[in-house]
Amino acid sequence: MIIKGGIVYDPANGIFGEEMDLCMDNGRIVEDAKGEEIDAHGLLVMPGGVDAHSHIAGKKVNTGRIMSPNDGRLGIEPRAGVCRPSTGYTVPNCYAMGYRYARMGYTTAFEAATPIMEARHTHEELEEIPILDKGALTLFGNNWEVMECVRDKDFGKLAAYVAWGLRAARGYGVKIVNPGGGEAWGFGSNVKGVNDPVPNFDVTPAEIIMGLAAANETLRLPHSIHLHFNNTGKPGNYTTALETLDLLKGIKPSRMRQIVHIAHMQFSSYGGTSWRDFESKAPVIADYFNKNSHATMDVGQVLFGAATTMTADAPLEYGNARLTHAKWSNHDIELEESSGVVPWIYFKKNLVNDVQWAAGLELALLTADPWKVLMTTDHPNGSPFINYPEVIALLMSKSKRDEELAAQHEMAAKRSSIANVERELDWSEIAIMTRAAPARILGLEDKGHLGAGADADVSIYDLKPEELDTSKDHALVKKCLANSKYTIKGGVVVSKGGQIMAVPPGKTFWVDANVPQADMDRLMVDLKDKFEKYYSVQLSNYAVQDAYVPHAKVIRAGLQTEPMKEVA
Amino acid sequence: MRTITIAPLEPFKVSVEAENISPDRFAPLALGQIRSLGVWYGNRKMRLCDLFLVDGDDSPVKPEEVQIRIKGDFSRVKRIGEGMSAGTVEADGRVGMHAGNNMRGGLLTVQGDADDWLAREMRGGKIVIRGNAGNYAGAGYRGEKCGMRGGEIEIGGSAGAYLGEHLCGGSIRVNGDAGDFPGAANQGGIIIIGGSTYLPGAEMTKGTITVKGKAKVLPGYQKMETATIDGVEYQKYAGDLVENGKGELFVRKGSS
Repeated sequence: MIIKGGIVYDPANGIFGEEMDLCMDNGRIVEDAKGEEIDAHGLLVMPGGVDAHSHIAGKKVNTGRIMSPNDGRLGIEPRAGVCRPSTGYTVPNCYAMGYRYARMGYTTAFEAATPIMEARHTHEELEEIPILDKGALTLFGNNWEVMECVRDKDFGKLAAYVAWGLRAARGYGVKIVNPGGGEAWGFGSNVKGVNDPVPNFDVTPAEIIMGLAAANETLRLPHSIHLHFNNTGKPGNYTTALETLDLLKGIKPSRMRQIVHIAHMQFSSYGGTSWRDFESKAPVIADYFNKNSHATMDVGQVLFGAATTMTADAPLEYGNARLTHAKWSNHDIELEESSGVVPWIYFKKNLVNDVQWAAGLELALLTADPWKVLMTTDHPNGSPFINYPEVIALLMSKSKRDEELAAQHEMAAKRSSIANVERELDWSEIAIMTRAAPARILGLEDKGHLGAGADADVSIYDLKPEELDTSKDHALVKKCLANSKYTIKGGVVVSKGGQIMAVPPGKTFWVDANVPQADMDRLMVDLKDKFEKYYSVQLSNYAVQDAYVPHAKVIRAGLQTEPMKEVA
Repeated sequence: MRTITIAPLEPFKVSVEAENISPDRFAPLALGQIRSLGVWYGNRKMRLCDLFLVDGDDSPVKPEEVQIRIKGDFSRVKRIGEGMSAGTVEADGRVGMHAGNNMRGGLLTVQGDADDWLAREMRGGKIVIRGNAGNYAGAGYRGEKCGMRGGEIEIGGSAGAYLGEHLCGGSIRVNGDAGDFPGAANQGGIIIIGGSTYLPGAEMTKGTITVKGKAKVLPGYQKMETATIDGVEYQKYAGDLVENGKGELFVRKGSS
């Protein structure tokens, strides 16, 4: 297949809006090819979108669906053509996830939080999401074995456990959510900062984060640790964020990438001492990212309207539930995590919500280097992912931001600096924030770019970047990004003008890391004991079997000296 | 006034989903087009004329000038008048579930009974039922925070359980008894029950419920002063205190 004459944005290969032809064959981008031609003269062409942080599968997503049957009544599309029925808005069904991402030009999405114990459920849902390539990050931040290894300073065993956990969960990377806080929640409390000890374990969140970061680099995992801070969502939490980021400066990365990726930074960029004097400290955070290069972030943009907050940060969700005085799901995952789900609505006239909206945009606009900041909404916490075009339009147009700001609470403009931010992103920066950077941050070599050998994932939009004034025509930008002219996944046209054309199954990436046998043997003694004493399942029934991941793409990592290669 | 008459061709064996029977849908269409509007008969998609005899004036008009007359047994026909904004629908017998769903205006009258979920999430207009209504009249559907938000419902007979659950506005008047839990989670609507009921206003935060017959009152309600309405003495209660509610409940004195 050949895409003719498109204006190509491929920042990873230094291409910023050049007219060129793209050839693909056998699911890959190649130098030369024959066959079907797609006329894209003058149109915007980018690699397929990559979402590095989204909650698309697993038990908490399903809990969100179960507790909001009203959400299921929205977004209903009956079975048609190759499509199975779609339902839902903030928590769509599995099929709708695939179709809606594909319509927007996205071809890869990563589920951001899965406890090992519930990974089987996650993979069952991931497998039912058509089209997309996926992966799931595995939760380690409140795990008993992790905390014991950290307490005993046995980092060999910790690395062995991380490797074992990733294999058991068929997971892609190390996710840490409110380290120690989830365990403390089991006793009705929380940790208040990185140096606040976790009850019964004699470790601090700082030690857990540092231990896991070291293990992550020992294992040379493709992705860095993926961190959800302590105190997320609370007024005044930006100091916790900065303190935690400073801790990690000393870690040496094992690959050409960040040491830590910060999830939904917006929810940790707040100043003030309560909801009354709540304000955005995003400029301070952005400034920190401008001066330091060991961390990256995704925004976690908030948009007005319905959302469903879901996180492994159970004490945070308890706070949310107390605020809304409505539905709340609270869950304990044995020796591993806690979690919560609360349906949510962000209001345009609510000052706190306005500040959150502004903080996300400030982060994206005030961080100079777009490679450090990803565009996400932390679906469905800030807004469902189908609203990405709205976020992009806001980032590209000062006038659109001003219009929005005018409709908000009268104090909104005073609690953040967004009114004074003049920057408008261009297509190169958008291509980085939604394609090239997420792929690089996740360590996906064949995603997010259009060089020879990359996966043939391409999105073509009915926009003419050379003529269009994105600042003025933001409505057109939003409309055209919502439905790509073509989305090509693995060399197959999957969506055309908003209509799904084909539904190939996607791959699931997971990381298999080697560790010394001696460490693994020591670990297994611990684990046998834990499963006998505490777990409700047997060790032999615990790990996800390969039958649940039929389209697996295994990435090797670990302590080998040979150059690493992907093994299919 | 453009009058259109609909009658079933034969008794239905399974439910019919007929959200197209509404003045808004009929108004801009000629009779032939109305006849070919879609309905679901069980899991089969059919045309209106496959199941119903449709007759009346042929020329399109505005919705407010449409009068739909429903003849015969419609107890298995669901969603009559869904989302209607104007005009009238008159049924001379029973109607099925979800009649007047999301109704925004106009008038729906039913001489017989209405099934469950009558006027679910209604926003405006008026519904008059001469017979009885089923459960969840004027309620919000599963998971919804708001049921009826505006408009008026009059039920000549009795109503089932969960009358006006999650009510956010509007008024419901029942002549006879109401089943268990009328006005549960009421957030600002008015319910008047002519007969008796059981445990009204659970988790009510705002709004008014008046019971002219007997009622078992929840322990979350605080006894207030005696109130006189239309010359009759009522015991006033405030609650539901479980939800720190500011709702008002009136139960006729000497009846409970």
